[in-house]
Amino acid sequence: MAAKDSPLKQFEIDPISNIELGGYNISFTNSSFAMLITVLVITLFLTLTVNTRSIIPSRMQLISELMYNFIAQLLSDTVGDNGKRYFPFVFSLFMFVLIGNMVGMIPYQFTFTSHIIVTFALAAVVFIGVTILGFINHGIKFFTFFYIPGVPFYMHPLLIPIEVISYLSRPISLSVRLFANMLAGHTLLKVFAGFVVSMPFFTGVFPLAFIVALTGLEILIAFLQAYVFAILTCLYINDAYHLH
Amino acid sequence: MPQLNPEFFVSQLFWLAVFFTFLFVFLWRVSLPRIATVLEKRQNKIDENLSSAKELQEQAMEIEKKINDQINKAKLETDEKIKETINSLQEDVSSQLSSLDKDLEKKVSDAEKEILKSKDDQMKNINNEIANITKLTVGKITDIELSDNELNKVIETHKGNFN
Repeated sequence: MAAKDSPLKQFEIDPISNIELGGYNISFTNSSFAMLITVLVITLFLTLTVNTRSIIPSRMQLISELMYNFIAQLLSDTVGDNGKRYFPFVFSLFMFVLIGNMVGMIPYQFTFTSHIIVTFALAAVVFIGVTILGFINHGIKFFTFFYIPGVPFYMHPLLIPIEVISYLSRPISLSVRLFANMLAGHTLLKVFAGFVVSMPFFTGVFPLAFIVALTGLEILIAFLQAYVFAILTCLYINDAYHLH
Repeated sequence: MPQLNPEFFVSQLFWLAVFFTFLFVFLWRVSLPRIATVLEKRQNKIDENLSSAKELQEQAMEIEKKINDQINKAKLETDEKIKETINSLQEDVSSQLSSLDKDLEKKVSDAEKEILKSKDDQMKNINNEIANITKLTVGKITDIELSDNELNKVIETHKGNFN
């Protein structure tokens, strides 16, 4: 298969306009464009649908309210009353990932959540924020987070390093989970799209049918991964409040 | 794999920071407060309606109680009145009956008296008639003219035989 037909070609970044700032290349690329579309969709939708502020909501307003209540419920279930102040952040994160994934489902549209650097940056923000929050809430006692009570003392030399490693790997697992899901899904779609073209006669309809089914699955995964990202963020915030 | 090409890392991080910060601030300051006010307004309205419904229900229950009280009161009153009326009617009837009894008794006794009187009268007349008839009969048969005194004397002696 030629390089221009590689299933990974869809993840390549093309600058739309070259910009340089302080010696760094900050070109506006197709990835940035996808982010712009995402942000526009979210802000316009959430603003316009709630514009009338009607007590009896229109269908569109109801969607906005459902999203609001969905994340609010998620936060209050996992974190409790402390969680209310982080609601705007978790909501932004959820919507950004969700709509980013959905925008990526539009054919020929770039999926910025399929880039590890983007998901890792988001996960790093969560990780650093939660760690700072833990130290603000508990001070130096936050380190007891790695100490598991009720375990025989001779196990601690083993368990504490494991706990530290598992804590430090949180941003990696959080970012890789989203990145890998998007990468795998889109690659699979592209591979089967290639089969549609290359298979002889009418047999191409089989991979085509598979793509249709897979597209449904991908939309489900797009939602699921955004949900997982949001709920893990909530759990980490909860950990910053409640040590073991 | 294009994801591992560091050429556009800075660019992606920069635009991610720009767009995500914008999104976060916009949602935090504009969109979410709007939705929150709508939800709050609706909740207030629901609470208001619920409380006013409760109030109305209480009022309705009060009114129902009042109605029941009045119905009971009215029943008691009518019962009383019926009793009173029955009593007064019975009194009336008994007094009228007793007065009728008295009247009747009086009338009966009057009638008895009259009967006795008329009997007496008749008895007197009978004496006269007897005297006249006797006088006439004796005159026709015997040509003896009886004086009234003689006749009366005879009648008086035989009077016991008439009764």
